[in-house]
Amino acid sequence: MKLIKDGIAKLSFVALLVTVTAAMFYAPTASAHGEKSQAAFMRMRTIHWYDLNWSKDIVPVNDTMTVTGKFHVFAGWPETVAKPEISFLNIGIPGPVFIRAGSWIGGQLVPRSVTLELGETYEFKVLLKARRPGDWHVHSMMNVKDGGPIIGPGKWVTITGSMSQFTNPITTLTGQTIDLENWNLGNIYFWHAFWYAFGIAYIAYWARKPVFVPRLIACEAGKHDTLISAMDKKVGIGFMVATLAIVAVTMESTNAQYPITTPLQAGLLRGMKPIEMPARTVAVKVDSATYRVPGRAMQMTLTVTNNGDSSVRLGEFMTASVRFLDPAVHEDDTGYPDDLLAEEGLTVSDNSPLAPGQTRTMEVTASDAAWEVYRLADLIYDPDSRFAGLLFFTDEAGNRQMVTIDAPLIPSFI
Amino acid sequence: MSASQSAVRSRAEAVKVSRTFDWLIMFTLFFVILGGYHVHFMLVAGDWDFWSDWKDRRLWVTVLPIMGITFPAAVQAVLWWRYRIPFGATISVMGLLFGEWVNRYFNFWGWTYFPINFVFPSQLIPGAIVLDVVLLVSGSMQLTAVIGGLGFGLLFYPGNWPVMAPLHLPVEYNGMMMTLADLSGYHYVRTGMPEYIRMVEKGTLRTFGKDVAPVSAFFSGFVSIIVYFLWHFFGRWFGSTAFTKGS
Repeated sequence: MKLIKDGIAKLSFVALLVTVTAAMFYAPTASAHGEKSQAAFMRMRTIHWYDLNWSKDIVPVNDTMTVTGKFHVFAGWPETVAKPEISFLNIGIPGPVFIRAGSWIGGQLVPRSVTLELGETYEFKVLLKARRPGDWHVHSMMNVKDGGPIIGPGKWVTITGSMSQFTNPITTLTGQTIDLENWNLGNIYFWHAFWYAFGIAYIAYWARKPVFVPRLIACEAGKHDTLISAMDKKVGIGFMVATLAIVAVTMESTNAQYPITTPLQAGLLRGMKPIEMPARTVAVKVDSATYRVPGRAMQMTLTVTNNGDSSVRLGEFMTASVRFLDPAVHEDDTGYPDDLLAEEGLTVSDNSPLAPGQTRTMEVTASDAAWEVYRLADLIYDPDSRFAGLLFFTDEAGNRQMVTIDAPLIPSFI
Repeated sequence: MSASQSAVRSRAEAVKVSRTFDWLIMFTLFFVILGGYHVHFMLVAGDWDFWSDWKDRRLWVTVLPIMGITFPAAVQAVLWWRYRIPFGATISVMGLLFGEWVNRYFNFWGWTYFPINFVFPSQLIPGAIVLDVVLLVSGSMQLTAVIGGLGFGLLFYPGNWPVMAPLHLPVEYNGMMMTLADLSGYHYVRTGMPEYIRMVEKGTLRTFGKDVAPVSAFFSGFVSIIVYFLWHFFGRWFGSTAFTKGS
């Protein structure tokens, strides 16, 4: 029996060592931000990010890059998600690998939360300064209070160099130029060490004499009063007076050193300026929409009317940041992330130019593995089985016109 | 040696064993308090203590002492009523501060690279020493609660001001005014923390002009008195010995 037990113990130990070693040699880094886990209807029917541009793919430490583009706040915002009355333009990166040097909506700096209007389209820009070397997935992102984060498309960006070279110089309104990366560090360390040493000194005074056993015996015997001497009380009062004096003096000296300080700034920014979109000349009605589960394809029957003065063709369908293109009409040259781009993913039954005044019923199919990879097919399990997205029509002059669509989606399992 | 014989054979040996026991208990006590207090503090004070752009004149000043006086009151009760040891509050806040620094250095800086000047903890040591000394001198729970508890709340803001003031220097940034603490919060991206989550400068305390910190500190002190009583009794109960009758 003992032999068996010893054998199991040895084998367990070897197994533990193998596990630990394997974990040391294979420890993959987490990538991306769980955007695929977010409910599909939320990605499809809240914020539509488009015309995105990441200005650089490789950025040295201390250099800057921008993420720019537009976002449309969908008018058919789902009832189950709080409205974007208090929202914050964030950036989806793994912590402060970049610093956010600036962020703007419609030209207005937005370090605070903002109010967005349903149905409007806004231009945004985020300026990032590279801080920590590595390959990072950089997403556009909008946080909505009580609604959660609504993440946009992400692209891999590489930061080169060394973080030790990173600086963050700031000039205050009192005229000092400081490096925010390490400003005030010595002061913090000093005061925390000082008070810690002070606390240790206080405890050390009591710990130099027997602490627990004799005191417990004395207390159990009812001799509490013998344990605290007059000298103990005097020393205690000395510590208290010194504490009060140090706090008072340092408060005064700090105020003398920094006579001008201001409270933290907070508040909601209202009145964000949307883009003044040209009047839509293309009207689209969704007659039906089906998602064919085995084929990873969405089929829509659309009735499209061209009320403009130039013929148009359907070039793109975009939903949840996945773009389905008809290459005969539109090709992407912006460097949009490959995994979100179905370059030949859009098929239209008749995509010949739709003349002004003409109405046509089209069978449109958006198919790509992205439906599965980005878990958009999970829409059929959502509480509100509707889809939404943007259609982009291109006219003869190459101008693109955006039209939103929103309709129930029927799954097909065969 | 039989079970009825003493483990020590001389007074000198007894003293030596007692001292060894002292250090073992002190070491264990420090880390046990650290663990419990740290978890409690992260849950109830959390972000107000994590980030410098949460350390405002109202809620930081109010929330932290109220949530911070809990373990000191309980540990003080055990150590004072059972041992007449008057450093229960001090050892508690020192345990907390040690744990907070380990957390901030290894987690916030070591793993996620937030600068320490943005994520350093608040310290409660001056208030804790006053709390301990009031108990030492008065020997009264009521006086400790009223005077010590009030002092605990009042001393928090001035005790931390020397490290906070430099972060409240104003700066003009792209046409908006911010403090350096605000700017840190804006620059050093917290993906999971949008700006609207930050609870700062909220409330109805508007009739005192810019001098709201002392009023908040007084309020904090008053509530700390009540919380002290509550947690002191937790400590008394926790430190009591109860015997049950055998059948």
